Amino acid sequence: MSGPSVADRVCTLRADFDRSFAEPARTLGAASVELLAIGVGGRPYALRLSQASGVHPDRPVTALPTPVPALLGVAGFAGTVVPVYDLAALLGHPIPERPRWLVLTTGSPPLALAFHQLDHHMQVPITDVVEGSIGDAGPHAYLKGLVRLPDGNRPIVDVPATRALVHQLAGHQPVPEESS
Amino acid sequence: MGRDPLRYFRLEARELVDQISAGVLDLDQRPGPEPVGRLLRAAHTLKGAARVVKQKEIADFAHAFEEILVPYRSGDAPLASEEMRELLRLNDEISAQVVQMEAPQAAEPAPAPAPAPVSESAPSPPPERKTDEPAEIPAPTRASTSDLDELLDAIGEANAQMTPLRDGCGTIERLHRAAEALSDQLRTGTPGAVRAAAVRLAGELGTAGRRFTDAVDQIERELDDVRGKAEGLRLVPAGSIFTTLRRAVRDAADAEGRKVRFESRGGDIRMGVHLLGPVSGAFLHVVRNAVVHGIEPEAQRLGAGKPAEGTITLEVERRGRFAIFRCLDDGRGFDLDALRRTARERGLLGPGTAGDQEMVDLVMHGGISTTTKVTEVSGRGIGMDAVREVAAQLHGEVRVRSTPGEGATVELIIPLTLLSMTGLIVEAGGSSATVPLDAVRGCLRLSAAEAATAASSGRILYDGSAAPFLPLAEVLYTGDTVPDAAGTGAAIVVDCSAGMFAIGVDRLLGTSALVARPLPELAPASAVISSVSVEADGRPRLVLDPEGLAAAVLRGHGPGARSASASTAEPLPVLVVDDSLTTRMLERSILESAGYEVQLAASGEEGLEKARGGGFGLILSDIDMPGIDGFTLVERIRADPKLSTTPCVLVSSRASAADRDRGKAVGADAYVVKGEFDQEDLLAHIRRLVVRS
Repeated sequence: MSGPSVADRVCTLRADFDRSFAEPARTLGAASVELLAIGVGGRPYALRLSQASGVHPDRPVTALPTPVPALLGVAGFAGTVVPVYDLAALLGHPIPERPRWLVLTTGSPPLALAFHQLDHHMQVPITDVVEGSIGDAGPHAYLKGLVRLPDGNRPIVDVPATRALVHQLAGHQPVPEESS
Repeated sequence: MGRDPLRYFRLEARELVDQISAGVLDLDQRPGPEPVGRLLRAAHTLKGAARVVKQKEIADFAHAFEEILVPYRSGDAPLASEEMRELLRLNDEISAQVVQMEAPQAAEPAPAPAPAPVSESAPSPPPERKTDEPAEIPAPTRASTSDLDELLDAIGEANAQMTPLRDGCGTIERLHRAAEALSDQLRTGTPGAVRAAAVRLAGELGTAGRRFTDAVDQIERELDDVRGKAEGLRLVPAGSIFTTLRRAVRDAADAEGRKVRFESRGGDIRMGVHLLGPVSGAFLHVVRNAVVHGIEPEAQRLGAGKPAEGTITLEVERRGRFAIFRCLDDGRGFDLDALRRTARERGLLGPGTAGDQEMVDLVMHGGISTTTKVTEVSGRGIGMDAVREVAAQLHGEVRVRSTPGEGATVELIIPLTLLSMTGLIVEAGGSSATVPLDAVRGCLRLSAAEAATAASSGRILYDGSAAPFLPLAEVLYTGDTVPDAAGTGAAIVVDCSAGMFAIGVDRLLGTSALVARPLPELAPASAVISSVSVEADGRPRLVLDPEGLAAAVLRGHGPGARSASASTAEPLPVLVVDDSLTTRMLERSILESAGYEVQLAASGEEGLEKARGGGFGLILSDIDMPGIDGFTLVERIRADPKLSTTPCVLVSSRASAADRDRGKAVGADAYVVKGEFDQEDLLAHIRRLVVRS
């Protein structure tokens, strides 16, 4: 290790530091997107953090006798009773294992989706997200885009589309069918 | 806040006025020294309190009120009707004064609409308000001071529990300093001294930690209590509207020259203030109508063999998630002939003969009244319009029944959003649920043998008769693996409009006061669930619906004895997959005699192909088959998005735990061993699993 190289490093660090002030502040979402890498029924998926309003592990779910198989039951969130749907069942590959994680979705009425595994939280450049629907029928309709990650590509679960499916399963029609 | 000298007087005066209003009506119905004494005490207290806060008018009215009553303090002589009227008038004056005293606060922001002047010179009973205004809604409902006191006490208690925490903060500060000193010592001190200091610090930290835990536990309990009490404040007893209605009956009877007694039931049922207000407004019309149109003059009643005094009964009842308000009278019923005539005159009715119920329905749609003259207090079908409006507003419905000569019933059924009740908490099949205690007739402890008999016969002996019986675990089954529970240990006998029945539970966990709320929008549930309550730990607990349970239990007893859960929908066909002809035929006969449609497949391959054709409510498969075996079949079904939710039951002679585990791993919903093959057991699995159309 010689003296000049340390001085060079110091210079570089200082320049970096100064430049960080000169650059415009980066806004979240513009150049990058926040995602949760999750495991659903043993398969890798991603979820946009902006479409979630909370992630909770091991929250007790009260099972509900119901005609809708994907409805696991109800859970309490700050005094509100929220229905919990099994994301794996909604995506068409249910497994017997109980999901451990709940994500509270944005939008109303309240809805929580359950998944099995939280792999990690990440912020990826928007360029790593390939937009576009994957297929247009079946479970694939609830996937929108794909994120390229070092550990492989993950389809992104589209929460609004999934919510629409839940509304349909629950017989909840926010848009009245009056075109008869 | 503290500058309002009338703050407490308002609260007290309101309660006293309520007592006086109810007391006057009691006295009217049942003279005697006891109601007189009570009224005197209330009036006297009011007089004293009013003098203290310089409310001279209220004090004077209260004094005049006392003066009338004093002569009747002893003896059973009833008051003269003039005196009774005067008491009612004074009662109204006092109420008006008290209301007025509260008005300025509410009316302050707007240029106050001149407070209704209370006519001092009213010579006769105060005229009824115009009945043409159905919007005349009294505000009878508010939390009582005792409820508020209890809440304040609970908050105070929770506050007091903060002290140990506050002290604890000091302790933490001290321990922090000790830890810093210890880190200094680590550099300079002798190892022995340092160790001693560290041990001491660890001990003190442990003690502080325990104190914190205790304090937090305590606060948690107190806050839970506060939450319960505050939730309760949103609900008021239905009886709080009775006095207003009773007074309306009294006034209408007085104006019509009838004798009417008022009875009420179900006043303890608590519900939201927002419901009681409109209901009270509408029922004012209903009870007035009942007096004016229903109750006959005395002579006519006696002639018809009825007691001279008419009776109007107001009943409040809770049925599942609905509240029912019912007004019954023992009068003449609707005058259907007069209704028919009026309807014809107005062109509301065709030339054909309208049935009785059709006429009653016509009344429901408004525009017809049976009274021949427009009386002061009622008429023009306004009553029914008001009830209908309220029903629409509260998403309820109205039912009217009339028996000529015997009386009429008007029933308003409204769904409840929040409901306070006492629940019996039970555990069955590893989960707990609440049964509304008011529907519970009794509890029986069952030995293992009794439980087995009850389950196989579907009946249980209670009070000399055999009540239909069904284990609750079967009703509540949700597809979860049920932990090894002790099995049915008690039966709860429930009574509802469909009759008496019993449900089997593993054990009773106790009773608890709770506030039930509707299930969330996106959670469609079986009819056995009426609502949900939130426990202290934030976890939802299901509240069972006695009527829904009854339907489930009785359905289990119907011909074909079908599923207890889900709905009345028909089960989809069952696919039986087995390479043995004997087994196929045996299973088919069992299933068909239980009312299921059955299709057969002789191999795993055939089974998979048939399953893919769709439409099965359940697949029942053998394990050992040539080619695709049962495990593989279930695995393939689970992997197919279209079939993945179809329930699968494996039937095999393999009894080992490893095989059961494997069955579970591939996704089978149940595993039945052929060796211990029990027809009932198999059917129970199928009943709870099968998908219905």
